[in-house]
Amino acid sequence: MKMTIDHPASGLRRKSVKLSTRYGVLGALLIAPSILLFCIVIIYPLVSAIYLSLFSIYTPTLQGRWVGLGNYAQLISGREFWPSLWNNLVWTIGTLSLQVFFGVGLALLLHQNIVFRSLARSLVLFPYFVSTVVAVLIWRWLFNDLYGVLNHVMLIAGLIDMPLDWLGSMPNAMISVILVGAWKYFPFVVISVLARLQTIPEHLYEAASMDGAGWWARFWDVTMPQLREVLAVVILLRAIWDFKEFDLIYLMTGGGPVTSTQTLPLLVYKQAFALNEMGGASAIAVVMMLIMLAFMILYMRDPRPAEGK
Amino acid sequence: MAKVTFDRVRKVFNDAVAVADLNLVVQSGEFMSLLGPSGCGKTTSLRMLAGLEFPTSGTISIADRVVNEVPPGKRDIAMVFQSYALYPHMSVAQNIEYPLKKRGVGRADRQIKVKEVATLLQLDGLLERKPRQLSGGQQQRVALGRALVREPAVFLLDEPLSNLDAKLRSHMRAELIQLHQRIGRTMVYVTHDQLEAMTMSDRVAVMSNGVLQQCGTPDEVYNRPVNAFVASFIGTPSMNFVDVTFERTADGVRLTAPGLSLKLPSHALRQEAGGGGRSTVTIGIRPEDVLVANDGAPALVKVFESTGYENIVLFEMGGGNLVGRFGPDVRLRTGDHVTLQFRTSKLHVFEGRDGKRLNSDIEPIAGRAAGRSA
Amino acid sequence: MNLVAWTVVFVVAFPLLWMILTSVKQQSELFQIPPTFLPEMITFEHYFTLINETPFLTYFRNSLVIALATTCVVIVIATLGAHSLARFSFPGRERLAQLVLFTYLLPSVVLIIPLYLLMVQLGIANTLFSLTLAYTTFALPFALWLLRSFMLGIPQDLEAAALVDGASRMEAFFDVILPQALPGIISTALFSFILAWNEYLYAMVLVTTEEIRPLTTGVMNMLITSYNIEWSLLMAASVMMSLPVIVGFALLQKQLTRGFGAGGVKG
Repeated sequence: MKMTIDHPASGLRRKSVKLSTRYGVLGALLIAPSILLFCIVIIYPLVSAIYLSLFSIYTPTLQGRWVGLGNYAQLISGREFWPSLWNNLVWTIGTLSLQVFFGVGLALLLHQNIVFRSLARSLVLFPYFVSTVVAVLIWRWLFNDLYGVLNHVMLIAGLIDMPLDWLGSMPNAMISVILVGAWKYFPFVVISVLARLQTIPEHLYEAASMDGAGWWARFWDVTMPQLREVLAVVILLRAIWDFKEFDLIYLMTGGGPVTSTQTLPLLVYKQAFALNEMGGASAIAVVMMLIMLAFMILYMRDPRPAEGK
Repeated sequence: MAKVTFDRVRKVFNDAVAVADLNLVVQSGEFMSLLGPSGCGKTTSLRMLAGLEFPTSGTISIADRVVNEVPPGKRDIAMVFQSYALYPHMSVAQNIEYPLKKRGVGRADRQIKVKEVATLLQLDGLLERKPRQLSGGQQQRVALGRALVREPAVFLLDEPLSNLDAKLRSHMRAELIQLHQRIGRTMVYVTHDQLEAMTMSDRVAVMSNGVLQQCGTPDEVYNRPVNAFVASFIGTPSMNFVDVTFERTADGVRLTAPGLSLKLPSHALRQEAGGGGRSTVTIGIRPEDVLVANDGAPALVKVFESTGYENIVLFEMGGGNLVGRFGPDVRLRTGDHVTLQFRTSKLHVFEGRDGKRLNSDIEPIAGRAAGRSA
Repeated sequence: MNLVAWTVVFVVAFPLLWMILTSVKQQSELFQIPPTFLPEMITFEHYFTLINETPFLTYFRNSLVIALATTCVVIVIATLGAHSLARFSFPGRERLAQLVLFTYLLPSVVLIIPLYLLMVQLGIANTLFSLTLAYTTFALPFALWLLRSFMLGIPQDLEAAALVDGASRMEAFFDVILPQALPGIISTALFSFILAWNEYLYAMVLVTTEEIRPLTTGVMNMLITSYNIEWSLLMAASVMMSLPVIVGFALLQKQLTRGFGAGGVKG
């Protein structure tokens, strides 16, 4: 190590700690509060959940006893896990497809020069930012079989001849929930895609036009390749967030009729707070996470096959 | 005013060597340019001098004090960035006074100094404006002002002129030269533009791939380049290179190529040249040292460019291209056949296209270029 | 093109429009069959009922306090943390950035049970503090990610210039980086506020007493009993609950769409 040469007149203390180290320490200090919070509210509960799943815990008293992998065995052989998983998949795929389809479509529309464009964009964002409670209340009112305006409009239009029970019977309930989910969350797709659309250089389209490409060709050959990356990320994020969605389904149908719209998150909640079995609930939650993890790993390995080709 | 010393400075990023064993001394009060193509390590070296990067090994000293562990603000330096890096939310006056504020100078004193610098750089009416309201040239002067106000021992400049248009650039070059003459402080200037380096510097340090190739006065790097890289980088249009066969004869050295034959006295090249049984070398000749003569190497005019004060001609000679630079009175047309001579006192000989220069520089070479006789 | 676009926008925004319309219709009008579109007479009676005869204002105050507290805590901590992630290098930094992304994806149902136990054990269940602490669970990673990408967008030379000018790293942060990051900080603060304001699950599990209950659970609880659903009050409550969102949007339209695009899609 080189020695630092001091000039007494320079007034510098000998710095025995390297400057790069001091910067590193400062950096670590700045992020320490974040890490601390992370550990308390994320890491600790995460690890706890796994630990708790090995116990059978009675919720009101929080008394538990060790059951090892018993909870897991029960849920695999039980009668609620698999149907809930199935519902979860139906819900996720259903609402995700609608979110992506309408999201991309609307983004393309809003990319054009229409009147009051920024107002239109803001209005389209509202469903995403409004509380799930508000969204559910509005839609339950719209779906109301007697006074809901949806039934009224469809009756007038001749699409149905009796008011529909949107939430109380199947497959209506699942369809309704999927629709509301699409309405609430598709703006996320809209913004992400729109942001990317705005960075596509105009001259790519001009060159395509000069080569004689019509609007569909321009979309497929110029726009889509540019959107591929964004869509890959957006689909991953939305798939994960839709899969773990609790609030919307719980408030719309409570999992009903009976358990036909019950998804895994709802099952976890029911297990913990209605059936008072916290350990079992934790086990289901852990399995849920494993499924999501598996999906993420598979998704990131296998590049998505090109859309439609 | 202070001396700057790079002592065996090395910088490695992951696996890439950005700067390899740099040994360089910038004398107190000197204007030194670090010149080279992108990626040659010149900016990294400057940033290490500023304290914005840490050397992997080696020491950097300012005024004989090792500053490796000294934070940038305490090195008694000032820096002008390529992007100017003016603080967008502060006015011009606030930008310029910022270093003084950090030093704890009182408000009254700050205002005086800011006024001084503003007057010097003709920024008087602009003090209350924000950077985005200024033109490129004005922003650059604010950046200079912010550096000047510190009265540092060493000025660091990182390609400060590259974002200006050509006319403004040459104007600012002259301003910077005058500035250096007036304040006489050490300046370390990074650029990829050899014209800037040649016109402004006391000495030029040419770098390539992290290695210092040559450090010398503009005259030295122009006329006595240490290798083919320096020779080709300095000067525009660049030096011509021709591969030739090398032969030691009784009365000297003979260099031959298709259509070309040169004879040089034996003392013209250093001892090792030819001692190792080498049979091909590369000669270098600058475009202004190419002459149209009554006899010599046959060449065909391919392109003739006239700039008004000089003519640049692209020849085809011996299967390769050659560029010549002539006064306005030399008139040629595409397709003309001419014969060329080289000013042999300005001939360079290199070990191959990227090799060392072999000239001995003992006295001007006298020799003759001759064409192949039929 | 205009027509198509605005038709779609209308369809999407219709439910919200319906919400507002319903909230100002007279009670009797609500239960007409067939339902009317525009109100025959505009009345604000439901709003008055809401404010005067229900605990709505208590819930509103609670939500406000919790959301503000969460936002402040999250912004302060995340701004410092984002600066660290963007401009410092120390061992493990890349790992941390990935960890932040990972937590984005955790289901709340996984965390809620242990978190509930933790709060009970610490004796802070049913306090505003417990909700604030819990809300940072999802607000913090989100804020860190957004702010980090904003800060990465600030030119490095600015901080370098400040350092050369004699600032310490923290001085450079306050003098130069913060002012530049301000638009991003405001956007992030707004997002965090809205996230906290809208949260339901944690509120449901962690708070069971009336005084602490925030709007989301309060409104659901208060108005939905077995048979008697007072839709007029519910719609009025919905409108009022959406106020921060509407206000925030009006103020920061452009910034939100830009900022969200940048931060939300980092892969």
